[in-house]
Amino acid sequence: MDNQIIINEDIESPTDPEFERLKTELLTINMGPQHPATHGVLRVEIQTDSEIVVKATPHLGYLHRCFEKHAESVDYRGVIPFVDRMDYLAAMNMELGYSIAVEKMLGTEVPIRAEYIRIICSELQRIASHLMYFGTYAIDLGAFTPFLYAFQEREFILRIFEEISGARLLYNYFWIGGVWNDMTSDQLKRISGFVDRMEGELDKYHNLVGLNKIFIERTANVGVIDEETAYSYGATGPVLRGSGIDWDLRKKRPYSIYDKFDFDVIVGEGTQGKLGDCWDRYYVRMMEMKESIKIIRQALEGIEEGPVMGKVPKIIKLPKGEIYLRTECPRGELGYHIISDGGKTPYRLKVKSSCFTHVSMLPDLAPGQMIADFVATIGSIDIVLGEVDR
Amino acid sequence: MHDQWASLINSKVNGANATVNSAEVGDSSISVEASKIKEVCQALKDNSFNVLQVITGTDYVDENPHIEVSYILADFINNHEVILKANLPRENPELDSVVELWKSANFLERECFDMLGVVFKDHPDHRRILCPQDWEGFPLRKDYVAAKEYNGMEVYPEDKLNLEDQGFGVKTSANSISNKSPMNNGRYS
Amino acid sequence: MHADQDIKTQDHHEELTFKKYFSNIWVAVRSLIKGLKITSKYIYSEPVVSIEYPEVREVLPENSRSRLFNDAENCISCLQCATSCPVDCIYISANRRDKEAPKIKTKDGTPIRLDLTQYTIDTALCCYCGLCTTVCPTQCLTHTTDYEYATYTLGQMKIDYLDPEIRRWRDRIVK
Repeated sequence: MDNQIIINEDIESPTDPEFERLKTELLTINMGPQHPATHGVLRVEIQTDSEIVVKATPHLGYLHRCFEKHAESVDYRGVIPFVDRMDYLAAMNMELGYSIAVEKMLGTEVPIRAEYIRIICSELQRIASHLMYFGTYAIDLGAFTPFLYAFQEREFILRIFEEISGARLLYNYFWIGGVWNDMTSDQLKRISGFVDRMEGELDKYHNLVGLNKIFIERTANVGVIDEETAYSYGATGPVLRGSGIDWDLRKKRPYSIYDKFDFDVIVGEGTQGKLGDCWDRYYVRMMEMKESIKIIRQALEGIEEGPVMGKVPKIIKLPKGEIYLRTECPRGELGYHIISDGGKTPYRLKVKSSCFTHVSMLPDLAPGQMIADFVATIGSIDIVLGEVDR
Repeated sequence: MHDQWASLINSKVNGANATVNSAEVGDSSISVEASKIKEVCQALKDNSFNVLQVITGTDYVDENPHIEVSYILADFINNHEVILKANLPRENPELDSVVELWKSANFLERECFDMLGVVFKDHPDHRRILCPQDWEGFPLRKDYVAAKEYNGMEVYPEDKLNLEDQGFGVKTSANSISNKSPMNNGRYS
Repeated sequence: MHADQDIKTQDHHEELTFKKYFSNIWVAVRSLIKGLKITSKYIYSEPVVSIEYPEVREVLPENSRSRLFNDAENCISCLQCATSCPVDCIYISANRRDKEAPKIKTKDGTPIRLDLTQYTIDTALCCYCGLCTTVCPTQCLTHTTDYEYATYTLGQMKIDYLDPEIRRWRDRIVK
């Protein structure tokens, strides 16, 4: 009976007795599962009072594959293709966290060239993922052109990834102990050319969309997440930074070789409206791409020749124990909780997904918003349903 | 650090019985009494553990069958994290909900209930989250067997599974080898 | 929704003054002009990026992971690919070779001790992760760059690599 839609009529109207006469029934609308603004198959059941959202209930699970159960029956190498399929827009970052967690348990040394390649790839992936956000968010708000611009640049990144790893979206490129293939110097040169061009493009995008009056009107002061809410809901990544909290795992707890690079953590400032609104989250993501470009430039300078695969036993068996490792992904922190009983397969693999916690914010953000603003809010927290449902 | 937190829990919460499971590889954790989990969380929250990251469970079926629920708390101010563990019986596992402390616990506890059947008392919206509401069984339990049928639909239809080809490394006779056998690796069970 | 919960509209518009009204118009026009400039630049200076598919076919990069191909003559039936496959879509069976039978070797000189009787891959289940090709000791199982293999039924996705049809197909796609 729980999932039955109940229209509750005893909602109290504003205190003015005139409104009592105009009292209308609440209307229940299903947004999704096939709705362009839900970025996947998210169904949000919203109760609306004319154009105002009164209550929103997200219904998850349309992409649920129970990958955690499946991981218990495949070996540690075989988990990586499944890990890719969680956040399919940032598969490199998904792999990075998993391989670092397993390597830490195994005590494997990763060759320095492989570390540099990992950094370059995961930062390129971050740019690709944020470009996707930028494009689809503009579509959510009614602008179609930025989507095409963003995809044109994203295409270059996917093409490079296809050349080095063999696949466009689900790479299986970061292996336990290193990376699969080496990058050629030609590819590195092309990446270097790309980041030079990308910097100018980003300014262009920001001028075209971010500083546009219509865009500002649609996003400023909408979907405000204050500091307390952000902590209480366990928000991470750009959502947390958009609320003005200086927290980036790459800086605070450097994994891989992030401590070698010099970059800034972008924090929302509330320039266009209240701190923690949709515009701030947009701003954090756009500026983060510039920081990624900075990191890629330094990595391209510092990359050394050498092997790309460390020494890993043929059959990987983790020692008994557990590990919880967090990494900073484009959408927030991703944590892997691996429990091993000493066997060939993980005994339990739990993934802390940032999107899952971000979705749980929606019922709190929605009440009182217009439906169109609610769409803007969903878009701005940038969820990927593959990661929410896992 | 873990010893410090364990003694802090013991001093603040009566009967919490916090013990540190220190590990040589990987992360250490703190085991606490399951009935006191809410007080323990409150004590840690007051001690600047401001973010609840994960509520997850593991099902152990061997010698000592129990469900181990892990709470991973993070401190975003001093940059720490701690794994709290509470052991529960496999039959009727129950815990106090911590939704009052962290709102993120709402979905996380629902997920834990959905996957492992751990019931959280006083949860405001206690139902399944990822599986459908009328789903039977708890998928992440080790003895879980998927239902053959769901709402009149066949689960894992045989003609799409290559059933005759499943299984692995079985010698079909003295001279031949194959990975064909009735399925035995339990991947689809 | 509980009756005592008072839903307030999140009204975020500040009071509109006369000055603000005109400055809003100015900002809107300015950002519109800026946007139009960028758009017109795209119209005249950027190259066309889309490909008209059936006429122009894209060539995938060398190590692109598309359709799997097993060169059955070089396969030694070691079952390593089937072990490493995370979705169990490779099905192999083989018989021990007669001692009297002439000794055969693969291209790189590994003796073949097992006669392959079945080598099937269900490409509908395959997740194209590439784990099987990297463990192959004789490099007979490879990913090709062929990406056009849609079929009419699900059963046709299950490809038997001992089929003579497939062997002919090899000349077309193997590098």
